[in-house]
Amino acid sequence: MNYRWDFATVFDNLDVLWVGALGTLQLFAICTVAGLGLGLMIGLWRTSASRLLRWPATVFVEFFRNTPVLVQILWFYFALPILSPIEISALAAAALGISLNSAAFTGEIVRGGIESIDRGQWEAGRAIGMTPGATMRRIILPQALRRMIPALTNRLVEIFKMTTLASTVAYVELLHQGKLLSSLHFNPIETYTVIAVIFFLALFPLVQLTYLIERRMARGDA
Amino acid sequence: MHQWDFGPVLANADLLLAGLANTLKLTGTALAFGLPLGLALALMRLSPLRLLRLPAGFIIEVFRTTPPLVQLFWFFFALPILIQVEMTPFLAAALTFSIQSAAFFAEVFRGGIVSIERGQWEAARAIGMSPPQTMRRIILPQAIKRMLPAFMERAIELMKTTTLVATVSYADLLFQANEVSQKTFRPLEVYTAVALMYFTVIFAASLVARYIEHRLSVSGEGLTR
Repeated sequence: MNYRWDFATVFDNLDVLWVGALGTLQLFAICTVAGLGLGLMIGLWRTSASRLLRWPATVFVEFFRNTPVLVQILWFYFALPILSPIEISALAAAALGISLNSAAFTGEIVRGGIESIDRGQWEAGRAIGMTPGATMRRIILPQALRRMIPALTNRLVEIFKMTTLASTVAYVELLHQGKLLSSLHFNPIETYTVIAVIFFLALFPLVQLTYLIERRMARGDA
Repeated sequence: MHQWDFGPVLANADLLLAGLANTLKLTGTALAFGLPLGLALALMRLSPLRLLRLPAGFIIEVFRTTPPLVQLFWFFFALPILIQVEMTPFLAAALTFSIQSAAFFAEVFRGGIVSIERGQWEAARAIGMSPPQTMRRIILPQAIKRMLPAFMERAIELMKTTTLVATVSYADLLFQANEVSQKTFRPLEVYTAVALMYFTVIFAASLVARYIEHRLSVSGEGLTR
């Protein structure tokens, strides 16, 4: 244990990591919006009365939940370009893989939330003359969304962690920049330690917030 | 339009199957070490002693909130410099995924243990059992049954996470897919076939998990959440 830690080479190159952090944040933002938005739709389809909506949504969820997200990203990066006439960039492949994967998991959260709402709420909505669509929008979803909050913030944490996988297709994000730095300056210990600390500092507050919300909800009625 | 041809994939099926075997080997190793380590971490975290509670909490939080790929790189590239050991991709991956899954298993154990009513502790104490005895004979047997579905889910997550090991050149299924696709120039067919292979194995495991969960909820012994 006589290794001399030297963080100077890392701190001299913070601009390199900063570029990576921007890439990470960009990918995170895209996947959050696309993943949660699509997930809401998938969840609604999964609970739909129409088989035409329910079945495709089920196949989608099962497929994306039961294959590794890295395989999905590499499929979009290496395999899809053969089928598609357009160029697939590293960002597009990573965003597609992570967003669709998150949509499948979010879809299950949404379904669980909707199904947890008492049937009486549907009947009450119908009794006062609301259409099923209106009942869903005005009665069921607002209550269900509240219950889904801890699971959804958990998803955000997972999405943030998943963005590192984009480094495998050479998308410029934090880990990719870390690899670059450590091969230039031969300082893998310091670089990867700093990267790990950055992720920890970014996500720890979000994780604590999730715990807090969970505890609140366990106590009160939600 | 692309002409699909799975011939080259089938010709290299032995390579892919060897990769699948390595994936299962890694998953099994990480499970074998991750489960007992997870139990130890959970017991430490529930201990009244701060000296045990704080380090366990720290390990659990760090490994749950940093990306597994960063952990893997740290163990593979950084650790060998700190302690003079020969690091193989398998060793690095087994270490990373054992500790990482242990952090998640610890939370499952803790949730299960906490879910057992206090009365069970009191009853054991009333008949003169020590706390460790109570934990071993009364609490854990009940808790583990309740935790089964969550364990299965974590084990499935673990198997999906093992794909990361391809990035440090361990010959798992995904790494073999890379090799075969470069050899045959058939990335579409190779990656599609490999995705289906993963799907088959993981979906089967998911169905077993769901069956167990269903059985437990019928007998009223599932974790009520």
